[in-house]
Amino acid sequence: MTTVLDRPVRPVVARLRRDRRRWAWALGAAAVLLWSLAGAGLFTGDVVNPGGTAQFGRFAAAALSPALDAGFLGLLASSALVTVAYAVLGTALALALGAVGAVLVSRTTWGRRRLGWLLSRGVLAVPRGLHEAVWGLLLVNVLGLDPWVGILAIGIPYGAVTAKVFADLVDEVPRGAHSALLAAGAGRASATLYGLLPPAAGGLLSYSAYRLECAVRSAVVLGMVGAGGLGYQLSLSFASLRWEQVWSCVYALSLLCLAADVAGRAVRRRLAAPPPGPGRDPVLTGAVVVPLLLVAWSWWYLAVSPASLVSARTAEQLAHVLGAAWPPATDGALLGSLGALAVDTVQMSVIAIAVAALGAVLLAGAAARPPGRLSPARRVGGAVVRTVLLLLRAVPPPVWALVLLFVLLPGVLPGALALGVYTLGVLGRLTAEAVEELDPRPRAALAALGARPVGAWLYGVLPGAAGPVLAYALYRWEVAIRDTVLVGLLGAGGLGALLASEIAAFDWAAVTTVLAAIVVLTLLVDLVSDRARSVMR
Amino acid sequence: MRYGGTTALAGVDLTVGPGERVALVGASGAGKSTLLELANGSVTPTAGSVRVLDADPSARSGRAGRRLRARIGTVHQHLELVGSLRVVHNVNAGRLGTWPAARAAWSLLRPQGVPDVVAALERVGLADRAFERTERLSGGQRQRVAIARLLVQQPDLVLADEPASALDPALADRALALLGDLARDRGGTLVAALHDPGLVLRHCDRVVGLADGRVVLDRPAAGLSPADLADLYEAPA
Repeated sequence: MTTVLDRPVRPVVARLRRDRRRWAWALGAAAVLLWSLAGAGLFTGDVVNPGGTAQFGRFAAAALSPALDAGFLGLLASSALVTVAYAVLGTALALALGAVGAVLVSRTTWGRRRLGWLLSRGVLAVPRGLHEAVWGLLLVNVLGLDPWVGILAIGIPYGAVTAKVFADLVDEVPRGAHSALLAAGAGRASATLYGLLPPAAGGLLSYSAYRLECAVRSAVVLGMVGAGGLGYQLSLSFASLRWEQVWSCVYALSLLCLAADVAGRAVRRRLAAPPPGPGRDPVLTGAVVVPLLLVAWSWWYLAVSPASLVSARTAEQLAHVLGAAWPPATDGALLGSLGALAVDTVQMSVIAIAVAALGAVLLAGAAARPPGRLSPARRVGGAVVRTVLLLLRAVPPPVWALVLLFVLLPGVLPGALALGVYTLGVLGRLTAEAVEELDPRPRAALAALGARPVGAWLYGVLPGAAGPVLAYALYRWEVAIRDTVLVGLLGAGGLGALLASEIAAFDWAAVTTVLAAIVVLTLLVDLVSDRARSVMR
Repeated sequence: MRYGGTTALAGVDLTVGPGERVALVGASGAGKSTLLELANGSVTPTAGSVRVLDADPSARSGRAGRRLRARIGTVHQHLELVGSLRVVHNVNAGRLGTWPAARAAWSLLRPQGVPDVVAALERVGLADRAFERTERLSGGQRQRVAIARLLVQQPDLVLADEPASALDPALADRALALLGDLARDRGGTLVAALHDPGLVLRHCDRVVGLADGRVVLDRPAAGLSPADLADLYEAPA
């Protein structure tokens, strides 16, 4: 007997319809990757430098014997404080700029006036498209060696990003309460205060905590271009080939990043699931009060003075630079090399993201903390993978580039791989979190019907995790193109190297052209990645 | 069987022979789901032993364990499906116990064994949805996809946990008939946890009642009336 479920069976034949657009994007991505690898000389030229392996071995061996003498540790501690102080003040400035900027770029402000909204967003793209280190190099030429360089270099680009995100957060709040207040005759400001800000507050605080985490990393990078702190110490030790000291710096950086990670995660977890009961949450109260105290301390510690911002010398220098920077240089030689270097930069970022995404997917299983009891081997393995990922993202990409230059010949590849391993540290963690959030039941059901582990992973985990991982990877691509400029600034080629040499030569007209090229490139990548993500949805 | 401090099942001694169609009845929390999870090896008993198809489902590991598990088919409350996969892959997942890994991976790119899948979906009335994403289906449709997965798995023992909870009465009837057929065609067994007394009496030949983790009733369905079952569904005071 054959029972047929359901009433009249419609004679409809199902056909597999593949999504053409997705396939087009996938093939396009594969082609771009191949083109990038070919551009990096992987298929043709020599890329490995066998002579450097001994040096690399000495460097790696020093990981187990970091410099721990009291004098150097004291130096490290004071450097770490400088880095923290820059991060805190930079974030504070970014949040202030972001709060003001959000009002200027939110849909709530502009309403139906779409053109004004688009224009205001476009204005933000300029400060956002330049890396903190680029801002640092530009500002040092205006302000001289002043703590404001570090603060502004973090505060300006972060302020632009924060303004965009804050505006999005407020715009995404459901409109009901806000419209009701407006209908009841409340003014626009008070309606926003009562109807929009309270529901958005959690997201705003959570994002601010995340920005502080990022600012610690940026402060380290700024140190490498001369603002002092851990990054400065790291590049000094590197330049004098003291590998034990380099590793001490790396471990100190990792601890700092870990502390920022843990604190940020605690705040986000509290916001996602607030403890029951009346009264203030001590963690969240701390998350507001401690940073305020830190801002005051940092101000004192770095001896920041508003006077240097408005001094006559600063105004004079600013006028000089701006005057020399306009009109931008348009000679053929510059434009030609600009085009070639832009290609290098794109190829570098593509390889970096491919390396990072592949590594993240392969490591996601080991890095995630699944619920339930685990075997001891699995737990130790997971802890090791998570620690390695932390080290990878704690060390700034330029340092990775220098390390890779021991064993690779200069060119696109060392920069690309350096960015790749750094991005792997970031993507690996995001991917592990995405895997942890997946529903474990489908996978358990597959194991119960006898699927082998690979099969259960392919059918139960991969389909759910692939979407978020690709979206993160595309998002990180935008970040990577900016970081490519940073790696270039410190010598790994691409647009960054050109920018550094033009700044060093005080050729401000050429600098304007290079900066414009970088901003346009960032915008293009932003656009492509946005399109790709919308196709995936 | 204990979970931490909570005893889910205690002193259950139950033997089910081949070809039987057994209904598990009882209030929520009586231990029906735990009993089914013990039978398919998802959980290990804290005391006592479980033998299914002449083997202990939780003790066997590796290849032999997988071969045993491939012979046990479970319908959960349609929670075991992967929403972002197409229906065809979710049905094919029933064959993961027998497919080699490479074939499983290739099938995600180019679906394998499509005629069988479509035949199974036809029996649950979803043949036209074979290539749709599973998350676009309604709750009842997803429950039927879960049944289609069992149809391609061809298990000797069918375990069903509320297999008809999201279906309307007519569909629920047919779904249970389908599961009963599936077990009987291969000389196998059906064990189903059910809420609806009507379904129990129409589709099963033996009724096992659970309350507070103990067996309180074990009789052929023939002599029972809906009123007898109604008491069992009442939550303990």
